[in-house]
Amino acid sequence: MSLLELERVGRSVRQGAHERVVLRDVSLQLESGELLAVWGVRHSGRSMLLRVAAGIEPADSGVVRFAGQALSARCGEMLGKGIAYCSNAAGSGEAHEVLDELMMGQLARGVPRALSRARAVAALERAGAERCGARASHELDRAEAVRVRIAGALVLAPSLLVIEEPTRAVDLLERDAILALLRSLADEGLAVLMSAGEATALSGADRALALTNGVLRGSVTPELAPVLTLRARARA
Amino acid sequence: MRSPVNWALLGLVIQRPSYGYELVQRFERTYGEALELSSPSQIYSALDALARHRLIEKLPKQELEPGVRQPKPHYRATARGTRDYEQWLICQLQEERRRSRLFAQQLAVLAPQAALGVLERCEEACLKQASAVAPEAASGEAWREDASRLTARLVSEEDRLAIGAKLSWIEYARRELTALTTKRSGPR
Repeated sequence: MSLLELERVGRSVRQGAHERVVLRDVSLQLESGELLAVWGVRHSGRSMLLRVAAGIEPADSGVVRFAGQALSARCGEMLGKGIAYCSNAAGSGEAHEVLDELMMGQLARGVPRALSRARAVAALERAGAERCGARASHELDRAEAVRVRIAGALVLAPSLLVIEEPTRAVDLLERDAILALLRSLADEGLAVLMSAGEATALSGADRALALTNGVLRGSVTPELAPVLTLRARARA
Repeated sequence: MRSPVNWALLGLVIQRPSYGYELVQRFERTYGEALELSSPSQIYSALDALARHRLIEKLPKQELEPGVRQPKPHYRATARGTRDYEQWLICQLQEERRRSRLFAQQLAVLAPQAALGVLERCEEACLKQASAVAPEAASGEAWREDASRLTARLVSEEDRLAIGAKLSWIEYARRELTALTTKRSGPR
């Protein structure tokens, strides 16, 4: 059983009088500790794929399973309970301090103040954004904002991180550091599903898939390492 | 002079004056699998060819290390060598363009369905190559670090951008070919 499984997922959206098919029969599997990157041009369906995988949007057909459980029509129910989702939309623009923002979600879940603070600090540090804690979110540059969003996801200790275009509009010399961060999170056991508009962002992924017109291509199932038989130890 | 080995060797001599054996080692270290020598002796014949074209010259004896009884012949690049090398690099871009165009022309010869199949396999290979490049964060202090790390980053970025261009092109070609097949098979 894979951590995340999409089985023949289809999804359409209404655009005026027309219905546009956004995802066609998309199947994929993702294991813990795997970094899976989906490349696609605009309107390829890449954002919808991520939102459906995170259980934010329902699928019209097919099934999405997370840890063996089908994500039901109650959208977003797994957010914060194993699945974390980072959009690439611009921030709220509010003048909250980053650290406060990271604590808010936890406080709302009843986590004690001191503990939520400690978790937020640790998450910022893990995401390489320790210097951003005392700043307002609208003061961050693009790379810092992405790191802070990743920290916001880590605070919830997810087993799956779904992140939309983490390197979009990020300064060229910052880009690889963010990719290396995602790689290292996967190496620690987190499953990461990311989308990318540029092929440069596919680097370091365990698998890269291409989404065109809602059709997913590439290795949709994990490539298992070949089983090596251990050589019988020579007898002394 | 057409041999890529000769030009690659000229680049190493431009980097710093050197002698045969050291150049063999630097050649293998620098270019690795990207450009393999058929045998170490290829370096010596390449040095001869470069000297014949006046792209490199032997260093005068007094500039070699004093006290060495049998100094190895060291070569350095001539001004012409440096100029021609830069010019050759620029020509390589055109060569690359020519090869890419040729690929498109050779693909277009196939029937649309067959071409679509080839595109799909090319795409898969591109995706594998793109993910196989390890992201390497720049320290932001390129001047401090080992030149080889900077070179590695420049090489990997070139790779990644080229793969990206190929993926976008495959996407475009697929749409064109798909449109063609649906027109052919669809009703009038």
